[in-house]
Order: sequence, then C-alpha cells, then structure tokens
Amino acid sequence: MSDQADRERRPGDPAERDMTPALGSPGQPAFGRRQDGETVALHIGEWRDGAWSYLYDKADTTYRAPGAVADGNVPEAARRARGGPLADEAVVQGPVMKPPVWTWEVPLYFWFGGLAAGSSFVALACDLAGDERSARIARKVALGALVPSPPLLIMDLGRPLRFYNMLRVFKPRSPMNMGAWALTVFGALAGTSVAADLVGLNRTAQVVGGLNAVVGGYLGSYAGVLLASTAVPVWARSRLFLGPIFVATATANGAATCRLVLAATGLPVGHPTRIALGHVESGAMAVELLLSQVNERSLGPLSDGLEEGRSGTLFRAAKWSVRSGLALRLARRRGGPWAHHLASGLYLAAGLMFRYAWVGAGPPSAKNDRVVARMAREHHHAG
Amino acid sequence: MTEIAIERVGGSDQRMGFFTDTTVCIGCKACEVACKQWNDLPGTGGALTPGRSYDNTGSLGGETWRHVRFVELSEPSDGLKREAREALARGNGGHVPGGLPAVTAEELAGAGGGVAQEEIPDLVQWASERTEGEFAGGMAAAGAGLAEAGVAPDDASLVDVAAAVAAFDSWIFMSDVCKHCTRAGCLDACPTGALIRTEFETVVLQEDVCNGCGYCVPACPFGVVDRVKEDGRAAKCTLCYDRLQDGLEPACAKACPTDSIQFGPYEELVEVARERVTTLQGRGVTGAYLYGAGDVDGEELAGGLGAFFLLTEPPERYGLPAQADSPIQQNVVPATLAAMGAGLAAAVGVAAAFLWEKRRA
Repeated sequence: MSDQADRERRPGDPAERDMTPALGSPGQPAFGRRQDGETVALHIGEWRDGAWSYLYDKADTTYRAPGAVADGNVPEAARRARGGPLADEAVVQGPVMKPPVWTWEVPLYFWFGGLAAGSSFVALACDLAGDERSARIARKVALGALVPSPPLLIMDLGRPLRFYNMLRVFKPRSPMNMGAWALTVFGALAGTSVAADLVGLNRTAQVVGGLNAVVGGYLGSYAGVLLASTAVPVWARSRLFLGPIFVATATANGAATCRLVLAATGLPVGHPTRIALGHVESGAMAVELLLSQVNERSLGPLSDGLEEGRSGTLFRAAKWSVRSGLALRLARRRGGPWAHHLASGLYLAAGLMFRYAWVGAGPPSAKNDRVVARMAREHHHAG
Repeated sequence: MTEIAIERVGGSDQRMGFFTDTTVCIGCKACEVACKQWNDLPGTGGALTPGRSYDNTGSLGGETWRHVRFVELSEPSDGLKREAREALARGNGGHVPGGLPAVTAEELAGAGGGVAQEEIPDLVQWASERTEGEFAGGMAAAGAGLAEAGVAPDDASLVDVAAAVAAFDSWIFMSDVCKHCTRAGCLDACPTGALIRTEFETVVLQEDVCNGCGYCVPACPFGVVDRVKEDGRAAKCTLCYDRLQDGLEPACAKACPTDSIQFGPYEELVEVARERVTTLQGRGVTGAYLYGAGDVDGEELAGGLGAFFLLTEPPERYGLPAQADSPIQQNVVPATLAAMGAGLAAAVGVAAAFLWEKRRA
C-alpha cells in the first residue's frame, strides 16, 4: 500500500472532516495580532467573576467590590498574620532564604586582610614608641600579608575577569564595596610606605604608615560588618560582636606575625617591643575569646551554625587553641623563646580557624528555615 | 561614578508591580514556563522531590525567576473547617460557597459519585478522626436524611465528600517572584552597582556589570537572587524590563490563565488588592491578607513590596519571612559603630602596651 493511499484512509482526512479554520486563513495566525495604532494593555482592566460556573450556584462571586474597603481592615489582617511570635513552627515550609555561596578563598582572605591590618597597627605603635627598625619591618609584614589578598578575592568571584567593577562605584552603604576601596587604598599606602623606607625617606614612611593604620582599622573590621549586614541569622544577630571580634583577631594575628618576624630578624629577647607584642597578642586573643563566649550565649538557639558540623568543630578547636596559647604564656612567663613562639603560632592558627568557622556557619544557619523564620519575627519585635 | 537611585527617578514614569492573588491560582505553572521561555532560562528540575508535593522546580533561584510553590496543608485551614462543618450540618456533602446539591443515596452508594477513600487517604483520616467530636451533629442530620433514602448512616463515604472537598481546597499555590522591594537588600549590598532601580521602580540586575561576588545572595531576606554556577553571575526576575520598555506586560502575567498574577501601575494594583481582601473577608475568608502592600507606615515589609501577594495562611507556609527589611539598612550602622569602637579600643590597647613596656625598660 502506498503512503499516499494510507494517508487518504486516515480520519481527519480533509475529504471527511471540515478543516476550515474558525478565524483567518490556513497557515496564518488567526488571533493575537496587533493592528496598527492599537494600544497594548499594560494590565488587566477588569476581573470577570465566576458566576457562570455551575460550581458556585447562585452565590456572589464578584472578584472585588469597588470602594468596599473598610477602615484599617487591610493592615489589621496583615498584622494578624505577620505580627507576634510564630505559634507553630511546624508550618514553616522552606526554603526561606538562600545560603551564601562563598568558598574557601573568602575566610582565608579575611585572615590575611586582618593580618595586614594588625601589622599596620604594630608599625604605628613601634613608631610612637621610637623603635624605628621594628616599625620598618612591621610595614613590610603589612605589605607582605596584603599581597595574597586580591588574588584570593578575585578567585572567589563568579566572573573573576570583571574584578575591577568593584571600583566602578563608591557606595558607602555596601560594606563589600567599601572593603574593596579600603583594600585598594591600604595596598597603595602600604606599597608607598615600604618604598619610602627603601629609599630612606623615613619621615614620609612614618606618616604614610600612620595613615595606613587608620585605613587598616576599617580593613581589619569590615569583614565582620559585611557578614553582619546579611539576612543570615547567625551573622545578623551577632552584628554588635562580629566587628569587634574581627578587630581583635586582626590585632592579635598582626602582632603575632610581627613578633615572629622580628624575632627571626634578630630582635633580642627582652626587647620592650617584643614583650609589648606578646602582651598585645595575648590581650587581644583573650578579648576575642571573651567576646565569642558572650556572643554565643546571647545568640542562644540561633548559634546552631557555630556549634554544629564542621564550623562547630573549627570554632571549638579555635577556642582551645587560644586557651592553650594563653596557658602557655602564663605558665612559661620567664621561659625560653620557643614557648612564646609556640603560643604565637597557636594564636595564628586560632585566628584562621575563627575566620573559617564564622564564614562556614553562614550556610547551615541560612538553610535552617525554622531559625530564619523565627528570627524574622523576633528580631522585629526586639526593634 | 554612579550613585544608585533609591527613590523614584522621574515624575513621568510610574511604579509598576505585580499583585499575585493566591486565592485564584490553580498551580498550572504557565507563568514559570512563560518566564523561562521569554528570558531564555534553562529548564530546571524535572524530577519530583520527595516531601515537596508535585512541585518539580523547587524554589526561586538564578534560573527560576517565577516559581509556583505548592503548599499542601496537612490540615485544612479554619475557614475550610467551618465550611465543611456547615455543609455537614445542612446534611449534604456539599461545599460552600453556594453549596452543591445534597448528595443522593445513589451517589453515595455507588462510589462513582462520591470520592473514593483510596484517593484521599489523609483527608479521610482527618475527617474520621473528628467525626466523633465536632461533626457529630452534622453526621446525625445527614444520617437521618440518608436513612430515608435507604443508606446506612455509617457509610464511610458520607464524611469523605465534605471533608475531601474542603481539604482539596487546602492544597494551595503561590506563584512566587522577586519582590522588587522599596528597601532592597540586594540593591544595597551590590558592590559593583550592577543592581539598579529602574524608571519603573523595579530592581534589575545588569548582567553585563555583575562580577558574581555573591553578596546579594545572603542579603536578600526572601531568598530570591542566587548565583548561577555555570554562568558565574547572579540572576533574578527583572519584572520583564525589556518588555516593559516596549509597552508589553511581563511574560508571567500575560500567561496567567486565571489572572492570579496581575500587572499594572502600583497604586492601582494596591487598590484592587485592598478591595479583594475586603471582599474575601466579607465572604468569611477571614485569614485573607496582603503580604507586602497596604500596611500602615512602620509596618511595611522592606518598605513595601513592588510585587505583593494575597495570602490566606501564615507567611511561613509559603516560605516567606513574617517580617523583613534590607539587612544592610538594618545592620550596617550599628555593626560599623561597634567595629569602629573596637578599632579605637585596639589602637589604644596596642599603644598602651608599647608605651608601658618602653617606660619599664
């Protein structure tokens, strides 16, 4: 049987069925074509009601009654649904918010940035105390710690080749934008001060280094502000602690690195700068430990992300690392240099672990729909 | 250098928005498909996720800018329970409003007319658990009517019909979308200025500027914007900025067969929505409220949502936060002040340690 004959036998054959289109001509769109001069409706003007449907019998199904709005009933209805604490947590059906997408580069950058900022504080303090040699070395440490920062930041971008767009605008309300500017200015000033040191312009280096400590104050703390300015419960509810915690770690780690570098470059044991740096390290780390504990307590059930999983392990390890360092310093006050170097190493490791713990606590916290929902209601009530 | 406009740009342009009325949404996902087609977005999902109803696309994201959320309520809402109670009290298995004609004996006896037990196991359980208590009166009344018609009053399908019809309604749908907030967290966070406020007062991400830093993702309290792994940039609903500029309504609103998604000038939409809520409340749907519009000053969500919703259940059921604001505007000032205070304290502490050691030496 030929194809032709087969086709002729099928139902739907033009010979058997009327195939005349209801509108227009065959092969042409029958409707939906705009005529010249016709306006395009931007919105639906009128709602049809469902009275035609047998489902609704003779009941009134008008979509809306124009002018029927009573006084204050609309905000009142929203207040009933959205106000007050959540009666039953079982109603939460996530996902409510998206987890942050940052990868391992970001906490490492936060650590290096803090280290650079802390070193700039040390350089300024050395200058004020009259120890110019140590100040010069601290400025080099600041520059050295800064160098890995931009590559790390750029690696984390979804489109690394567009990193320069960060400096496309100056936007004070975006902590990340301000951080990018701070990093740029800090890098320029750190480079200038080290260059001035190299060519022997001591006074210039001191002034530029002093300015850099001011910028460093922002560079060392903005990461905390950046994390706090998100909707992630564990970060947002730590907003008063994150900045100070990051500053404390930055100061301690900057001091620890400078102390190790100074010791390696021949600063004698018992030199006031070396002792002062030891005090700064231990003091800042003790403050950080205290702030973390207070914050963890005030977070209450919101601190899940910091207490469980990988971040929880890192957070506990960091705290024990700090405690060990402090104990070592106290026990071996008059001990040899290696006990103190070990303590500095413990502080540096603790700082790094704190950064990873804080950034890593974000995603589990954001994925915990019940916590996110609860924070939205409670936070509003707290003001 | 550009500063991103927060307020309305020009007097001649109008704020445009979406009003999504969940009470008329049938969950067809035509909006989702239309959005993907118009914006050239790849298909996502396809497989049904256990525990996520018949929803095969999950949630909003970088490649899903409209998402119809399926919300299955394990228990009917208060309004629906009341409706079922009334229907039972009238002695039929009908459903308010209007009410179906009384269930005939034939319909109940031959399970074809009613709803078979296997089709709705959860609902049957729900109804039968309560038969002893709240529906006792209704059961008796219905039973009396049916006894005349020669049906045993303990016929299980008697309860099924009323409860099932009522509970069928409690499978609710919500077509979720970017809220185009007045105080938008993503817009505040964006360090490159890729996110802008347009002349329609919508929030649009310029894909040729975005460098994929990812800061907008946790800055959105609604979980709308996300970074697309393959592309590297963030992406979200543009409220069809390209269509708007050509005088066309957004693709999702155009595709919606029940007018659940309405698009139009913002003030006009809010008025429609307020009247709709009032009408629904008048009909006994007391749980109906607007999410994101019509609030008094100080109670708005993120300053008022450009795309707002009519909901009938607590916002958490739809995965929406009950309260929200731009996290930047909420936190950046206190956090910065705390950090600056700590910075000063650190500077003083470091200087004190050095000077003290110097004096001692």
